[in-house]
Amino acid sequence: MQQVSRRQLLAVAGAAAGAATLGLAGCGSDDKGSSGGQDYSKNKEGAMEKYGVGDQFKATKALTFPIMMLSNPAYPYNKDWLFFQELTKRTNVTFDATVIPYADYNQKRGVMVSAGNAPFIIPKTYHPDEEAFIASGAILPVSDYIDLMPNFKDQVEKWNLAGDLDQLREDDGKFYLLPGLHEDVWLDYSLMVRTDILKALNLEVPKTWDDVYTMLKAMKAAHPDIYPLSDRWSTPPNPGANNLIAMVGAAYGPMSGWDYQATSWDASAGKFVLTGAMDQYKQVIEYLNKLVNEKLIDPQSFTQTDDQARQKFATGKSFVMSCNAQTLVNEARLDLAKIAGATVVKIPRPIGPLGDVKRGTRTEAGMMISAKARDSKNFVAMMQFIDWLWYSPEGKLFAKWGVQGTTYTGSIDDGSFKLSPDVKWAGLNPTAAKSLQVDYGFFNGVFVYGGSTKLLNTQFPPEEVEFQNVMAARKTLPLDPPHPLNADEREQATLWDQAIHDYVNQQTLKFILGQRPLSEWDKYVTELKGKNADQYLDTVNKAYERYKQQHG
Amino acid sequence: MVTADVLKPEPRAVRPARSRGPRTSTGYRVFQVVNAILLTGLVVVTLYPFINILARSFSDEHSITAGQVNLIPHGFNLVTYKRVMTDSMFWTNYRNTLVYTVIATAISMVLTTSYAYVLSKKHLKGRGFLIGVAVFTMFFSGGIIPNYVLINGLHMRNTIWAIVLPNAISVFNLLVMKAFFESLPNELEEAASVDGMDTYRILLRIVLPLSKAVIATMILFYAVSFWNSWFSAFLYMDRLDLFPVTVYLRNLIAAGTGGTNESAASDVALQIAANIQAVTIILTVLPIMCVYPFIQRYFVSGVMLGAVKG
Repeated sequence: MQQVSRRQLLAVAGAAAGAATLGLAGCGSDDKGSSGGQDYSKNKEGAMEKYGVGDQFKATKALTFPIMMLSNPAYPYNKDWLFFQELTKRTNVTFDATVIPYADYNQKRGVMVSAGNAPFIIPKTYHPDEEAFIASGAILPVSDYIDLMPNFKDQVEKWNLAGDLDQLREDDGKFYLLPGLHEDVWLDYSLMVRTDILKALNLEVPKTWDDVYTMLKAMKAAHPDIYPLSDRWSTPPNPGANNLIAMVGAAYGPMSGWDYQATSWDASAGKFVLTGAMDQYKQVIEYLNKLVNEKLIDPQSFTQTDDQARQKFATGKSFVMSCNAQTLVNEARLDLAKIAGATVVKIPRPIGPLGDVKRGTRTEAGMMISAKARDSKNFVAMMQFIDWLWYSPEGKLFAKWGVQGTTYTGSIDDGSFKLSPDVKWAGLNPTAAKSLQVDYGFFNGVFVYGGSTKLLNTQFPPEEVEFQNVMAARKTLPLDPPHPLNADEREQATLWDQAIHDYVNQQTLKFILGQRPLSEWDKYVTELKGKNADQYLDTVNKAYERYKQQHG
Repeated sequence: MVTADVLKPEPRAVRPARSRGPRTSTGYRVFQVVNAILLTGLVVVTLYPFINILARSFSDEHSITAGQVNLIPHGFNLVTYKRVMTDSMFWTNYRNTLVYTVIATAISMVLTTSYAYVLSKKHLKGRGFLIGVAVFTMFFSGGIIPNYVLINGLHMRNTIWAIVLPNAISVFNLLVMKAFFESLPNELEEAASVDGMDTYRILLRIVLPLSKAVIATMILFYAVSFWNSWFSAFLYMDRLDLFPVTVYLRNLIAAGTGGTNESAASDVALQIAANIQAVTIILTVLPIMCVYPFIQRYFVSGVMLGAVKG
């Protein structure tokens, strides 16, 4: 709630400062009346005449681009990093960095953009954070300029990402954020299971949620004094056990848990429906309620802290828990070292009525471009440079793993890729003297987004690659059609959404824990309507229709 | 001449002896016991987190995550201290904090003292307006973005002035000081002026020496607040080597408690070890804590007792 109000505040402040910005920028956005044809005659200095997919970008003269540079305390910014030296060598570009500590990046970004003083390149922005700055005209509608970005266009086409990009579009049909592009949906979170217990009870690794139920039941029968599943990630504002509810939701249909979305697309009816009132949402609740009733899941799963859940798992008081690749290796395995013979694996996400599918967006955090960059004489060169560094396969490989022969050897195409033995990263080469991030500046969150699945898999140990391969084989469900709200609608919808979300969370938890009988489901749906749910749905459906008419 | 001997406090009037005063009654004893218990509790509550952090700073990381460190270090070692102290950025930022605090406090003291002294003179023309100007800023401020635009327009970004100038006068401190100056007897200054002193010498030779208590308090208030402040540095500085140590520390701690976010997972969430946080906290608060006892002795009450003889 706090975040929303801050964002709104910034939006207001941004709008106020916007007038000033536009004045200062000298009506930068007025001269592009026709959306298609852009006049770049004054912005070509340093740009390459011919730049396309497969070309190495190199500015024709030395250029400097201002950038907002997040400094992660785990690898604090250092202007002498090999990354910057090598980048200048390859592209003739240096950065003029505004360094911002990780902890308050968003706040400073908000102030600088609203004050009209932001650097040209503003990375690490998560959708929909950019919406706060649109009204003031402080950031570029980047969708107007992707003609300058051959690699970006190529990947959108090759990986069929148009639908994913539509999610970022505003009601003017443009998007204002250049997102990181993934070839495939990358899922990291799943359940981890104690395999030594499975073996002792002669059980298979569960494939479906029904299998999970059977497994938990067998575990409970053998160990009646414990709850076999005790979960983590229960931080508000979601109902608790946010990852578990999200995963069961993904198998049954609704976006729930920490994936929660107020509305879901109903393809058969051709309109949006309220997620919290869907029949499938009820099925998710019923399933979890069954686990609670039969004492298969620890009721504290929905309220306890991560440390409490972790401790239960570490001391053998539970056998199943949510995890991701990192918590599996860095926490669970280390914790379990004290229990003789204990082994644990991350299992492929169990599936449900929807079948062998996965869901998710293939775009991630990306960058905004300051509106005033459009007036720079180096604008074209800058867009080409961004396209090379953030979107070309060569640029992505460089930003991630560095320089061949120095920080890595081999190639990712033939699978011979290997980090150099004297370089460490995450769990790889833990005893090496130098760190890929701290000492060389590669694998920096500012420059590394998305990429091909092959590139992604280079960062995983074999066990995780196996998990990823199982997930990759699953069919990706289509995303909901775009339904961007305009600024006024958004203001109102946020208020409704907040009230609805709170109520859905609260009642979800009550139903799951059995504090409210499921026979009262219809009554709950009526109560939900009392929270302006109908008006909210109306707004969303209208926005969908409007967008389809104007841009569909 | 007004000389130092007028400042000497008179011997305290001897309290008339009473056989059973309030100090020996049962009620008073109960009060003392309750008081002692409450205050001890307060001390424990305040000290516990600090000692816990101290213990963590000397412990190894594994014992901390396992929850074994409470009041006594577990797995005692100095490795972390060595590690933090060899980080050059830590010392750069530390030096910045020292420089910012000293200069900012000096500027603040000069400005606040002169403003407060002027305001304490009842015969000053437009005194109400001048007070109003100051008090107005207690209730209304431009807000973050206009302030940022202002500082940027003055070309003060990435300079020390962005930190030491905008907050130079704290209105609360100003009012406290003004009240203190007002309580000084007029006769002292009149006497000095009869002896031929001008306004500035009166301020420097008479008023300030009599105001050691309030000046010490103000220095402490200002120094602590500048030492602890991080926001203006964070906002107006764009380079790591310009930040004070508080921003360094804040960044360390925030990273350790960063939320779990599916989309942020690609930005490999490396946790800063709990013991590094603890060591940095200790090293940061230590100097300012050491300043307290030295300034405390200036909090003398009754300086003015008997300064004026009727």
